[in-house]
Parts: sequence; structure tokens; C-alpha cells
Amino acid sequence: MDRDNRSNRRWWIAPSILGLALILSVAWGYREYTVRKDMEVTLENAYQRLFFDVKKHVENVQTNLSKAMVANSREQNVLLLSQIMNEAYFAQDKLAQLPVPQADIAKTEKFLNQAADYSYYLIRTHLDGKPLTNEQRGQLANLQENSAAFNKELTELQAQLAKDNFVIGSLSKRQTTKVRKGNENIFQTTLVNIDKNMAKVPRLIYDGPFADEMIDRKPVGLTGQNISRERAMSIAKSFFGSNKVSKITPFEEGKHIDEIAIPSYTFSIQPSNAKDATAYIGISKKGGHVIWMRNARPLGQEKLTIEQAQRKALEFLEAKGFKNMEPNYNQKYDGGVLFNFVLTEDNVTIYPDLIKVKVALDNGEIVGFDAVQFYSYHQDRNISKPKLSLEEARNKLRDDFEVNSQRLAIIPKGKDEVMCYEFKGKYMNGDFIIYVNADNGKEEDVLQLVIDENGTLTF
Amino acid sequence: MLKSRKKFTLLTFVLVLAILSGIFIYEQENKQVSYSKKYLAPRVLYWGSQGEDVKKVQWRLVQWKYLIGEVDGIYGPETYRAVRRFQEKNGLKVDGVVGPETAAALGISLGEAQPASATGLNRQSDEYLLARCIHGEARGEPYIGKVAVAAVVLNRVEHPDFPNTIAGVIYQPLAFTAVADGQINLTPNKDAIRAARDALNGWDPTYGALYYWNPVTATSKWIWSRKVTLKIGKHWFGV
Repeated sequence: MDRDNRSNRRWWIAPSILGLALILSVAWGYREYTVRKDMEVTLENAYQRLFFDVKKHVENVQTNLSKAMVANSREQNVLLLSQIMNEAYFAQDKLAQLPVPQADIAKTEKFLNQAADYSYYLIRTHLDGKPLTNEQRGQLANLQENSAAFNKELTELQAQLAKDNFVIGSLSKRQTTKVRKGNENIFQTTLVNIDKNMAKVPRLIYDGPFADEMIDRKPVGLTGQNISRERAMSIAKSFFGSNKVSKITPFEEGKHIDEIAIPSYTFSIQPSNAKDATAYIGISKKGGHVIWMRNARPLGQEKLTIEQAQRKALEFLEAKGFKNMEPNYNQKYDGGVLFNFVLTEDNVTIYPDLIKVKVALDNGEIVGFDAVQFYSYHQDRNISKPKLSLEEARNKLRDDFEVNSQRLAIIPKGKDEVMCYEFKGKYMNGDFIIYVNADNGKEEDVLQLVIDENGTLTF
Repeated sequence: MLKSRKKFTLLTFVLVLAILSGIFIYEQENKQVSYSKKYLAPRVLYWGSQGEDVKKVQWRLVQWKYLIGEVDGIYGPETYRAVRRFQEKNGLKVDGVVGPETAAALGISLGEAQPASATGLNRQSDEYLLARCIHGEARGEPYIGKVAVAAVVLNRVEHPDFPNTIAGVIYQPLAFTAVADGQINLTPNKDAIRAARDALNGWDPTYGALYYWNPVTATSKWIWSRKVTLKIGKHWFGV
């Protein structure tokens, strides 16, 4: 009897535990399923919203472009162009969030970015009081045509997707049911088609950060003949100090190495004084200039002051043949200080000709050198006398802007440079720099400075 | 007799159910906490941070004898070790990073007094996001390879074919594998943060590259149609 009972109990236990486990795993599975479903729906909703938004923004670009072509007053045009700029940036931003490969939408993104950038450029020319030229009208008509074509494709795509009840989120998953695949193809091929058409859009000629001209810009500061790799290697060694180099090896190069902005030889250097550290250096092929150097060794306990470090940096620049370099901003981080030096000529500060030097605060060694900007922009400049006097320029500022220092400076403006009076000062406790054009008194730029004990950041 | 056994089984059944569902609920709640910890990046101080906030932290650590040393405003190795000791003693996650919990336990609030126009203006969020991208994408690379990856992100921001913000570029769907598989959410190490700073300060060892790929793991044939320029570490770079 007792034994029977015991086996009876055993008979009960196993199935009930198993049953329990089954119930729990079903419950767990169901919960996972609903969580996943929730997430999928949320994601899909976000994607759908992005797609419909892209469509709407492109529509707005298109209609505003049509209006801008018909409108005749400058005020109306400025308003319309600022809307075009906004809508094009929105469309670009949202398009880039859809789950499609960047390669399929690169040219479309570029079209939208440039449409926005171009509008901004036209706003500026309007504000300068210049009317639209025929050429610019032609480019606007072109933009309008292309955004109309773009919009037409999107409309067709949307109709297709609505018909098949397409789920955009399925693009990012690897699901191969036939229906899905068909849809995927419609979505992707339409976007690819749009992208192909965008690639045929003629170059927009204007002055702005996204203009092709700016991107394909060639450096103007490199002088001299092309040099060989061996020559570059010896230049690298002597720049670093021949006695401090224990080994130097060139980087492996691809076959398009000469299509970079500044074609260069790149080497890694094993310093003889530090076993675990590596330094890197880039030498331009044209003229054999050192365009950058970095010693990546970890920096130790700080022993130098910023002033001492700055003296080291200046001595270094003098020794490398850079005269009249003036220290500007500095940033202290990770045991070193990075100084920005700019060229001064006839008491004019030339901001485009910038060299950065990083000094280690443990032993004063130069651990970073960057002259990419200097060689990109440095040229012989004819610095003319400013038409405005300092007093006249100063009168252009707000009365309550407290000026602490002032001087003449050349700053970049698009692809050109302008001479300005630079006023550093305070407004409502914040630090700002205001640039006033030295010839026509226009306020060219306003920079905000954030100063703390580590240095200065500009915004 | 039989009745009591039945009761016993029933009781076990209920008990086991209760325990398991308890674990179940606990796990669910736990998950939520770790999610929010993982995906929100509040103001944090870490190795290499500098400034008034670091001084506040060091001051407290010195007061409470976790740190014997200078209050210099630089988050160096000693501060790091002191923070770890503090976290261990106080039952916090021992990671050597002063986040909101550790700051609260120290009795300080992070954030500096600045003029209204400059309040909250800094480069920290850019720095941190870039560092996470570096850590996810190029953890095993030499230092220059880390900076190179960050430089590609920054070059894309400036280029019309790509989004116009650092976050836009990093989170563009299908752009980076480390974003797709969640590795971007790992806590970046010191080297990644240093590399992010160097890249933000202008070092571009790739000479303007917009793409990079690992020839061993690259799955897309398309990537080989790019113009190949330079090999840094394990990655090929190109435009």
C-alpha cells in the first residue's frame, strides 16, 4: 500500500512538472511574440511616416520652386527659397532614415542637399541686393523639373505600395516569400531609378559647402615637383629627427591613391625612444611637404604649463620654416595641448592658412602637426587697404556689444576670402566674435565662443 | 492519506508556479532598466574628462578618503581607481565611469554654471557618439585605424551624398554593421574616446575617404566598386 502510494506520487510529479514547463514556455513564447509584434508595428509605423513625409516634402519643394519662378518680388522669393531649403533638408534627412542601402539613394540625397544649399545661396545673393540672373533662373527651372520627376516616381511608388499593402520594414529583414520579394523590388528599383535620373542632373554652379566645385577643390598651396617614395621617406625621417627613427614603413596603397584631395605618401614610424608607440606621417607627392604628423604615444603626467608648451610649438614652427605664425585658440585634452596657429601678414590675421600643433605636456615633445588647411589655401595674397576705418566698422555693431579686442583678419567665405574687422567681445555674458566686412561694412559672420579651463570652442 | 498527497502536489505546483512567475516578472523589470541604461546617454564623466565637474567628483572622493591626491580637474588613472573603489563600496556598477547614479551617490549634480547663451554647449555628445562608433566598428584596430573610422564619419557629414549630422551618418540604416548588431551600445574605452577627440580636432589619416571595408568580412560586392586609396590596419579606405 505504502509502496503503491509512493509510486503513485512519482507518477504525478513528472507529468505535472513537464506540464508546468510547457505552460510556462508557451506563456513565455506568447509574450516574446507579442513584444516582437509590438516592436515590428512601431518600426513599420515609423518607416511609413518617413516615406509619406519624404513624399510631402518633395511635393513642397516642387511647388515652391514653381512659385519662386513666377514670383517677381525679392521679398517673396526670399520667403519661398527659405521654405525650399527647409523642405529639401527635411526630405533628405528622412530619406536617409529609410532602410535602403546608401548606394541606392546617394545621388538623390545629393540632389536634395544641393537644392537646399543652392536655395540658401540664392537667399544670400537676394539679400545682397542682386536680382536673379538668367543662368540662375535656368538652374531653378532645372531643379523644378527634376523634383517634379522625382515626385512623379514617388507617387507611382506609393500607389503600388498601397495596392500591395507593402511593409517597408521587411526590407531590412531577410524574408524571401515571393510577394515580399516582388514588393521589395518595386521599392528598391524605384529608388534606384530615381537615383539614376538624379545622377544625370547637370552640375549646379554656385558657391556653397555642398557644391561640386567645393568638393572637387584642389589645394593651391603646394609648390614644387613631384617626388619619389624614397625621397618622401627621407623627408619624413628628417622631419621627425633622423636619430629618433628606428624603423619606417610605407602604408599599403590602393590603385586610386592619387584621387584623394592631396595625393600623398603615408608612413608609419617606430620611434627609437619609445618601444610601444607608433607615429604616422603624410608627405605630399607634389613638392614633398609634410602635411600631417601624429605621434600616438600615450601622454604621461603633465609637467609643462600651456605657456611653456606654446613656446615649444612656436620654436618648432620656426625650425620647420613657418614664419609669422600667431597662436590663436588652444584645446587641452588627453595630456596634450592642441594649438591653432594662423599666418599674419602686414598685421592681418589670415585664418585660412591654419596649422595645428599638438604638444605633449609631459616632456614638451611635438606629438601632432597638421598643415592640411594651410596647404589647401595658402597663396600669395594682395592685401589691399580696407575702405572702412576701424571706427566706421565698429559703428556697425550693436551699441551694447562690449568689444575687448579688434583687428583686421581675412576669413573664408564660400570659395572666396573676405577681409574683415574682427571684434571679440561680450554680449549678455556670452563670448562672441563678430566679423564686419572691411570694404562694405556688412556683418559677414558671428561666432560664439565657449571658454572653459581646457580652452576655447567655437560654434 | 491520498488526499494529503494530492494537496501536497497541488501546493508544490502552486509554489513552483509562483516562483517561476516571480522570476518572469523580475526579469521583465530588470530588462527595462538595462534597456534605458543602454540607450540613453546622459552626461557622464570618464577617463580623460576635464573640468569643474571632475573637480567636484575629486573633491568628494578626497573628502571621503577614496582619493589621495590632487583635485586637478583631470580624470586620470588615480581618479579612475578611486571611482571604482567608491562604486564597489557603495554597491554601484563598478565601471569607473561617473554617470547619474554614481554622481547621485556622491551627492553632486553634473552640469556647469554658464551664461544663458552658452548653457549646455559642448562637444561631449559628438565625442561620445563617435567614440561608441569607433569602439563598435574598430575595437581591434591600431590607434590610427580608430581615428580613420571616425574621420570617415566626419567626412560623410560634410558630403552631400550623406546625412548632415554625426548621428544621421552613424545611424543611417545598413551603413555600419556595429550599429545593426547593437555593438555601438557598448561602453567605449579610453582609446576610442581619445581617437574621437583627435578626429574631431581635425586629424584625417584617410585624406577625405567616404568608405571603408574589411576585405575579409565584407559581404557586399558593391563596395569593391569604390575607388580604393589606402589601407589602414585591416580596413581598406576609399572614395
